[in-house]
Amino acid sequence: MMSLLKNTISCWRTHGLQGSCIQSHMRILFAGIKTYDIPPDYSDVVLPDKPKLKFLNKVPNFKKAKKEKKKLRDIQGPAQAANTFTVGSYAIVALGGGYIHWGHIEMIRLTINRKMDVRSTFAKWRINAPYKPITRKGLGQRMGGGKGAIDHYVTPVRCGRLIVEVGGRVELGEVEPILTEVAKKLPFPARVVSRESLAAMHAEQAEKEQNNQNPWTFREVACGNMLGIRKVLSPLDLHNHGRFTGKFHLPGRV
Amino acid sequence: MAATLCGTLLAKPGWLPLTQCVRVRHMSKSVTRHRRPMHIIKQKLMAVTEYIPPKRLAAGAYPPQNQKVEVESGLVLLLKKEVKKVFQDCKMIAVVQNNASNSEDMLTLRHRLHKHSLTVKFFPNQVMRSFLKDSEFCNMAPLFIGPTVLIVSKQGKVKEMLSTLRGSPQMVLLGACIDDTLLSAQGVQHYSKLPSVSVVQGELVSGLTLLSSRTASLLQHHPARLSALLQQYVSQQGAPATEPRPQEGEGEGAAA
Repeated sequence: MMSLLKNTISCWRTHGLQGSCIQSHMRILFAGIKTYDIPPDYSDVVLPDKPKLKFLNKVPNFKKAKKEKKKLRDIQGPAQAANTFTVGSYAIVALGGGYIHWGHIEMIRLTINRKMDVRSTFAKWRINAPYKPITRKGLGQRMGGGKGAIDHYVTPVRCGRLIVEVGGRVELGEVEPILTEVAKKLPFPARVVSRESLAAMHAEQAEKEQNNQNPWTFREVACGNMLGIRKVLSPLDLHNHGRFTGKFHLPGRV
Repeated sequence: MAATLCGTLLAKPGWLPLTQCVRVRHMSKSVTRHRRPMHIIKQKLMAVTEYIPPKRLAAGAYPPQNQKVEVESGLVLLLKKEVKKVFQDCKMIAVVQNNASNSEDMLTLRHRLHKHSLTVKFFPNQVMRSFLKDSEFCNMAPLFIGPTVLIVSKQGKVKEMLSTLRGSPQMVLLGACIDDTLLSAQGVQHYSKLPSVSVVQGELVSGLTLLSSRTASLLQHHPARLSALLQQYVSQQGAPATEPRPQEGEGEGAAA
């Protein structure tokens, strides 16, 4: 009888202890205020018939393939074409010049086509199929004997050009991982942008140019040929104002 | 800039451009893998023409260009109304930081405070700040950081509040607004040590009456003692003075 009573008392005690433990871990809960964002309106989005990225030819079908000079100018400086959005709302933008090979194009195409949701998303190329011939001499060949044979074709890309556009009934968070994965593998620095962030980038650059506190600007010094500085500047510097060296973009300059 | 460029660019006295052997290779420039090394003068030019951001203006000097228009929800408006009512009605509003006190502690504290008709009020800090921003209590706004609660009373029962808070170490007094006066925690302590208004008034009245009663009692003394006192007063005052009569009269008048 006594043992039973003892048991019950000990049980009670342990329960009481547990209760106090739980109470000591309790916090006073405050009622917060939560306002939900209005979901984006996709009523004006029209998906194209073929939402996936098209296959791009590895070799252009010319009747007679012609060897070309290096023409490095086509990767130098800022992009003049395809630097704004057309139909999509998210894109990969190049932050430097470079050549895209057919292998890169296939990588982009396969990755994006495999991972994007075809029912709600579409993708579109903003670059052409490889058209610039690159020549190589055969392995173990002696130097001389003229220009080598055409080895492969590439697509030149300038800084600020969009590579791929993605649009549809999606938000940036859904397509960003796919595009980032692709952008990391490109042969030049590239970033994922949306329409807003690209506009913000341009606005920031314009604002920097306007509010620069430095009285000496590259444009004035170079265009005015102060102290004969043009001797050490390239002709492209007159257009680019020191924001590019070759294919490289120098961020933070105006 | 001119100085740096002059030193390198301007011709030296014996410099002849045609005889100088300029080693410039015009071929093989097509390096695209890395940046070509920049000419030293171009490097200097790049360094001189770097972007300098505008200096930051003092905060609030100009109104922000993109002002957010926030629509306050109904709950916020309701809470603001309650806060306003509290600030109108209550004589004492103390702000107390609530450092992880559990519900049991809070319950006991509220019970103890309730004995002295003190109330604990919970308001979200956002609501408090948006209320204080427009009101005359705007200087209280820095107190509302972190988990804070209000202890309010319609009569300023500061002593009771302090004695109750002494029993609960997880509640830290930050400051208070008593009779439209902002007080720090130290100030509240000092305020609680002050005697009540009636006691102070009594002291003042007694001090004032003491003087007149003493004068009256002096006048009721024997005339010989009174004249002796006056003579002593005159002799004390007479040393620097030339005519003692008016001073005596004055002294008498003052005594009367």
